Amino acid sequence: MPADVRAFFVSTVQVILLTAAMITITFLGIKPDPDHYFAGSLLHTRLLETTASPRIILAGGSNVSFGIDAELMQRKLGIPVINDGLHAGLGLAPLRELEEYIRDGDVIIISLEYNLFAYQDVLNGDPTFLSDWIEYSPRRIQYLSKPWKEAPGIYAIMLQRKVNRQVNTVLFGGSLNEVRDIFVGTKYDLNGDFIGHLQETSMNRRKIPATPYPVLGLQDDIFVFLENFNRIAHEKGATVYFEAPASRQSNCKATGQAQMADFFKTFAERSSIPILTPLDEVCLPNKYFFDTEYHLNAQGRKLRTERLIENWIKVMAALK
Amino acid sequence: MLFNSAAFLIFFPVVTITYFLLPHRFRWMLLLAASCYFYMAFIPKYILILAVTITVDYFAGLGLEKFEGRKKRWVLMASILTNIGMLAFFKYFNFANENLASLAKFIDWNYPVHSLAIILPIGLSFHTFQSLSYTIEVYRGRQKAERHFGYLALYVMYYPQLVAGPIERPQNILHQLHTEQRFEYRRVTDGLKWMAWGMFKKIVVADRMVLFVNPVYNDPTQHSGPALVFATLAFAIQIYCDFSGYSDIALGSAQVMGVKLMKNFDHPYFARSISEFWRRWHISLSTWFRDYLYIPLGGNRVPKPRWAFNLFITFLISGLWHGADWTYVIWGALHGSYLVLSILTEPFWTRLSVLTRLDRLPRLKIAISTLTTFFLVTFAWIFFRAASLSDALYIVSHLASGWHAYLAQSWHTLVQEGFQNTANPGLYSIVNAVFTIFTPLTEESRTVIVLTALALILLIVIEVLQYRGNLLEQLHQKPVYLRRIVYASLIAVILIFGTSYASVQQAFIYFQF
Repeated sequence: MPADVRAFFVSTVQVILLTAAMITITFLGIKPDPDHYFAGSLLHTRLLETTASPRIILAGGSNVSFGIDAELMQRKLGIPVINDGLHAGLGLAPLRELEEYIRDGDVIIISLEYNLFAYQDVLNGDPTFLSDWIEYSPRRIQYLSKPWKEAPGIYAIMLQRKVNRQVNTVLFGGSLNEVRDIFVGTKYDLNGDFIGHLQETSMNRRKIPATPYPVLGLQDDIFVFLENFNRIAHEKGATVYFEAPASRQSNCKATGQAQMADFFKTFAERSSIPILTPLDEVCLPNKYFFDTEYHLNAQGRKLRTERLIENWIKVMAALK
Repeated sequence: MLFNSAAFLIFFPVVTITYFLLPHRFRWMLLLAASCYFYMAFIPKYILILAVTITVDYFAGLGLEKFEGRKKRWVLMASILTNIGMLAFFKYFNFANENLASLAKFIDWNYPVHSLAIILPIGLSFHTFQSLSYTIEVYRGRQKAERHFGYLALYVMYYPQLVAGPIERPQNILHQLHTEQRFEYRRVTDGLKWMAWGMFKKIVVADRMVLFVNPVYNDPTQHSGPALVFATLAFAIQIYCDFSGYSDIALGSAQVMGVKLMKNFDHPYFARSISEFWRRWHISLSTWFRDYLYIPLGGNRVPKPRWAFNLFITFLISGLWHGADWTYVIWGALHGSYLVLSILTEPFWTRLSVLTRLDRLPRLKIAISTLTTFFLVTFAWIFFRAASLSDALYIVSHLASGWHAYLAQSWHTLVQEGFQNTANPGLYSIVNAVFTIFTPLTEESRTVIVLTALALILLIVIEVLQYRGNLLEQLHQKPVYLRRIVYASLIAVILIFGTSYASVQQAFIYFQF
């Protein structure tokens, strides 16, 4: 080997190793933020691993974590209930993770936000949210829709987020969690319900825009996914139901009754998963909402949970 | 293919290693094939445009050597018409057509010609000018006609500079492509360093500036003076780092394979006059226009009014070269006007300098000249960046608006809110106060602002050091371990900040030309 080539090879290897060391130290040295809202996902995973079946698992985005009281359901129904809801921005990745924990006798109640049904990238989710979610449990990389293709981008964002967070802590103190006073990873109850917002009044939060729910232009991908999810659950001996997210009256009005009804009809036609929610129970007065068109406050959460329990009992009675 | 893409991270080492492994006689084939692949990553069928251009200019070159007198001029005309014809059709047809249609509507005429649904071939203006320079140089007798079709094709298509320059001259490139290049440690590593520095400018600085520029320029009517001024300043940095970053990567990747491309940027924002700015900015295009348009028009060896006309028309055409839109024409006209005015008012400025005794304070004079040049150039960028002429005029007419409210709000933020943060009240409040125009600021955007500021400081320090001397040479004097740490840190910074949150690679601005 010519001397120049050998020298180049040696120096290149040295620079690559040094770079790799710097990146690795940065990556491993900055730990996940314990205050982040997504830190609660570790509790969810632990509950899925350790709670004995049969049990009810509530799955979906933040409409579930903010809007259903699993603890109340457990008390009223007398079986274990886990709130596995987290964030709609994660797309369907949390449901892929959930597939792994389904056991014989489980009941899974899925409540996916309407936006997801019209979201073209629903299979993938938002890379920034996904990187935060995976940071808490690196094995979650396998739940991406195309792990090999997406992983480099997700890790790059994760690294950048870690550095930003660390710099932010040094410069300004605190984490990157935007509203960490409420949305913190420690404010979950033992059933996985998010409870950080229950003492807050909706008045303190930003005004919620009365925009229509995107229930038109529904994507094929999500129905294909749900059918597959339902099949896997059935194979494992579990039952799957769909619970429509509670909707704010102003947003319902903007969407229109006919379009909401059309969404229910389309869902029933394209999915074999039964819907628990009657159409006339979907829309709730604005006063029950907290800070977004999906997040319920304490009163709204109680009302929705009680209705869900009633609907569940009715379905069970009908089955008997 | 983008230089800042994962595909290029594979493409470049594969091509380079294969290049050095191959015997010299096969290397042109490899480079030509790689260049075709590089180009076809955008819109494959447009390779035919290059094929036509190269074929015409290949035979034109041979004809130009063979013929004399009128025949020779006809051959040159044929080459120019083919090249400019392609450019006119793909780039300017719709622009001209839309303007004619508007004119016809204005005078109430029926105008039946519709615009064409064509996408501008990437880098068309660049490779057209490069190809043209070949036939013109052969015509002028300063370059022998290339007899090897493959080498001429490679001259036009050489991938490092195919889509955004530098626009090369045949005298500089062709003989280098013919020469057998050996692997030289110093040359290869210096090339890689240039590439890394170019990536830093593009990914860490330019792409960060997008975060400040796009929200404002995408809808300028929603913003007042401070945001418009700030976004325009940010664009001045963005376009420099974007384009000079591209050029650095192009120069570096060519240098790795033993080809020395011409320097395209030489610290343009340190220029003390507009004419000096154009000797430092996009040098390959400026010299192209100088050699093939300005000097043939008579250059400065003509009476002053004609000289001014020559300058103005050259810059007007340069503006049109950048894009088929009135905003680019005005951008070119502004630079032309700056230059003409500077010539006409030169005695006045000299006298003013003596009267104010500024000539006795050379450093202050340099600072004032440099800042004035920078602000004039930045003002012209408004027309370059704005999406339409109406947007540009809105921005220009609102630059002075909203400052009172901004300053009051900033002051309020600084003294009322900022110091509530306990970890670092000073910096927190300053960031809040300065960037109050970008509300609502999030925790992360504050961090991004600070990191961007740090990247800018690093850029300025390196630029100043480069301006004062050969930085690479100075770096070579340092101990090996220190150099390795510097290079590894640079790569680590690029990797850490190499992905935007939108997960979208920002294309290089000059690709559209």
